[in-house]
Amino acid sequence: MSLTAWARRARTPEPAPVAREIAYLEPADLFDSDIKDDPEASPVLCCTGDPAGAAAFNASWLKRIASTGRYAGAVSVRGQGGTPAAEGGLDARAHDVVQAAVTVPRQAVLIGHREGAAWAALAAGRYPAAGLVLVSPRQFPKQPPKPVGGPPVLLVVSESESQSKEVQSVTAAYGVAPLTFAGGPDDVFKGAAADGLLDAILSWLAPKN
Amino acid sequence: MQEYSSQAAYDRGEAVCVIGAGASGLIAVKNLRENGFEVDCYERDTVLGGLWNPQNQHSPLYPNTHLVTSRSQTEIPDFPMPDDWPDYPSAAQMLTYLTSYAKHFGLSEHIWYGSEISHIEPVEGSRFEVVVKPAAGNAARRLRYAAVVIATGHHWEPNLPSYPGQDQYRGTVLHSSQLKDASRLRGKNVLVVGGGNSGVDIACEAAVNAAGCVHSVRRGSWHLPKYLGGEPADFALARIGARPKFLRRFLTDRLVKGPRRLAARMGIDVPDHGPAVEEPVRNGRYLEHVGDGSIRRRGEVARFDGLDVAFADGTEMRPDLVVFATGYRPKITCVSPRLLGVEDGSPFPRLLARMFSPKQETLAVVGLVEPGVGVLPIVHWQTHAIAHWLEVRRGDPERAVNFKTQVVSESAQSAAEPDGTSPRHQLAVDAEEYLASLGRIIDTLEQEPAK
Ligand SMILES: Cc1cc2nc3c(=O)[nH]c(=O)nc-3n(C[C@H](O)[C@H](O)[C@H](O)COP(=O)(O)OP(=O)(O)OC[C@H]3O[C@@H](n4cnc5c(N)ncnc54)[C@H](O)[C@@H]3O)c2cc1C
Ligand SMILES: NC(=O)c1ccc[n+]([C@@H]2O[C@H](COP(=O)([O-])OP(=O)(O)OC[C@H]3O[C@@H](n4cnc5c(N)ncnc54)[C@H](OP(=O)(O)O)[C@@H]3O)[C@@H](O)[C@H]2O)c1
Repeated sequence: MSLTAWARRARTPEPAPVAREIAYLEPADLFDSDIKDDPEASPVLCCTGDPAGAAAFNASWLKRIASTGRYAGAVSVRGQGGTPAAEGGLDARAHDVVQAAVTVPRQAVLIGHREGAAWAALAAGRYPAAGLVLVSPRQFPKQPPKPVGGPPVLLVVSESESQSKEVQSVTAAYGVAPLTFAGGPDDVFKGAAADGLLDAILSWLAPKN
Repeated sequence: MQEYSSQAAYDRGEAVCVIGAGASGLIAVKNLRENGFEVDCYERDTVLGGLWNPQNQHSPLYPNTHLVTSRSQTEIPDFPMPDDWPDYPSAAQMLTYLTSYAKHFGLSEHIWYGSEISHIEPVEGSRFEVVVKPAAGNAARRLRYAAVVIATGHHWEPNLPSYPGQDQYRGTVLHSSQLKDASRLRGKNVLVVGGGNSGVDIACEAAVNAAGCVHSVRRGSWHLPKYLGGEPADFALARIGARPKFLRRFLTDRLVKGPRRLAARMGIDVPDHGPAVEEPVRNGRYLEHVGDGSIRRRGEVARFDGLDVAFADGTEMRPDLVVFATGYRPKITCVSPRLLGVEDGSPFPRLLARMFSPKQETLAVVGLVEPGVGVLPIVHWQTHAIAHWLEVRRGDPERAVNFKTQVVSESAQSAAEPDGTSPRHQLAVDAEEYLASLGRIIDTLEQEPAK
């Protein structure tokens, strides 16, 4: 984040605070003696444009992520899932993601799905994420901010989206080639598509974070 | 004979040494590490958080200390405070915040506690030898670093006045940093000397806890409430700072008209210049206590006399307790003053852009400014600049030379003599201008190297 961007934000009224719903699983919560908390592995915080919010990740994501020894969390931004609606657009949602990120015990990887990818990208412009994962981005800002602290960025899209204009512009903005997963952009939470997608993300996370 | 000190220094290669684990030191460690530096941080105390940690020996916190700057203007730019915290968090919340910052970024494993740095010395050109003061019975440790960042704060050495007869005074005298507990005020006739934020806050504590409170202040200053126009005062004023120049004066005057009239009614000379020029006192309760008589204002103390205190206006009183809230003076003893640009014994370093040593490229001091606004954001950008500078210096000596010229000229601009009203204002900077200058410095450092 540039000094100018910060100064501008520090002079803009803060979005109204909301009580945010955060779902999380820690490795110890899985009660599996084979799974140990890995102090070297960055925690993960997810968000999605799906109206279910954090709950969408309950089906399989949080469990899968936690089983790699990481703290796995998900946040519902204002108006989603169990988080009450409140004023504010894109920026307020990015604020919600940053506010959730700072409550994670350690520097977190942000994973955003659909509109959530846009919020996560904006959040990563203010908060030094340990990594930024954009899954099937929608309504993505034309010029996303440069992520603070230069985290690694992963773009994952469904095969059907891989040629879309939106995906190309995200690719250009971050200079990363997209990975593709089989299946549609919306069946990412359970089933075979979800498994393939999670495999891709987790193996990307493994060596770096 | 054992010659501990001749023990060879341990070479830490390209690592950077940060001295102090207060807010400034923590921010320095985090930002240096983010830019790829290995960092060792030394803290003389056994806890982090510096002055915000009441367990730190000599912490200057007094009863009921709250921030005087609001949350959004105080938080570190890339790690906001929880947004359900109050506008003006308490000292305890500030410590919680700094602790979670350290935890979040894994800073503790880079901090060596109980390790006071007694001396640093340039060696091999631009490197530094750092001496860690020995704990009882051990040898002093010596290490070598590529660079040193001093973050030792400037609120540890009380600035005490000396009035005629003060040495023979038989009553109790405390500096504001020694007043740990409001119960010390209970039932007493208290005299508070000094009109900065500490003096005014303590006078308010005395107004509600003590039997009587006299507040001695030697000149007028700006008194702002914590809120202006329905917003935290510093936020409201900062927003005006973003407006076109010709509007600022007008808008500021309009915003502070009420507090200004109230101060005048209470007999306080409000300085002619606006509240941005020197740090305002930010306490909305104070003038109300003056207004209801629970704080009685007096001018300067003239002398102490047995158990009595006489004021310049000829009046006298017999206090049970005198609190000197007369501020602090910077004291950096671990480095030769020459490296901080001081030749004349002054305690106030003369640094380039308020942070770089004028003599040694790999030495910087952070947090040695009084910006009248939140200090942490300023330190964040300072350390951002320092980390980039060390990076550029390492990889591209030619750019480093150009950069140095720029910093020198920036410093000349902001060195416009401090108002000179009081020595304490030598650390004062106009936040708006200083941040702009930091912005230019960072921009230059972040430019892609010319091919
Ligand atoms: C009463 C009070 C209230 C304040 N309120 C506000 C406010 O509302 N808002 C705001 O923005 N600012 C406020 N400030 C300003 C405050 O200075 C900054 O907020 C900030 O805490 C400064 O942190 P620092 O790390 O620079 O210094 P410090 O907190 O002083 O930390 C310096 C650290 O260095 C260590 N140290 C010193 N010498 C050595 C050595 N030789 N070797 C090793 N370690 C060493 C010390 O033990 C200490 O831990 C206030 C200051 C005071 C005194
Ligand atoms: N709640 C908070 O967040 C909070 C609380 C307290 C302090 N602080 C910060 O901590 C820093 C230190 O504050 P502070 O109030 O302790 O000190 P300060 O701001 O330096 O104020 C010292 C006061 O004592 C007076 N003084 C100094 N020497 C004197 C002398 N010899 N005789 C008589 N009066 C004398 C000064 O008057 P002159 O102006 O005439 O020199 C001034 O009024 C400031 O940056 C302040 O904002 C913050």
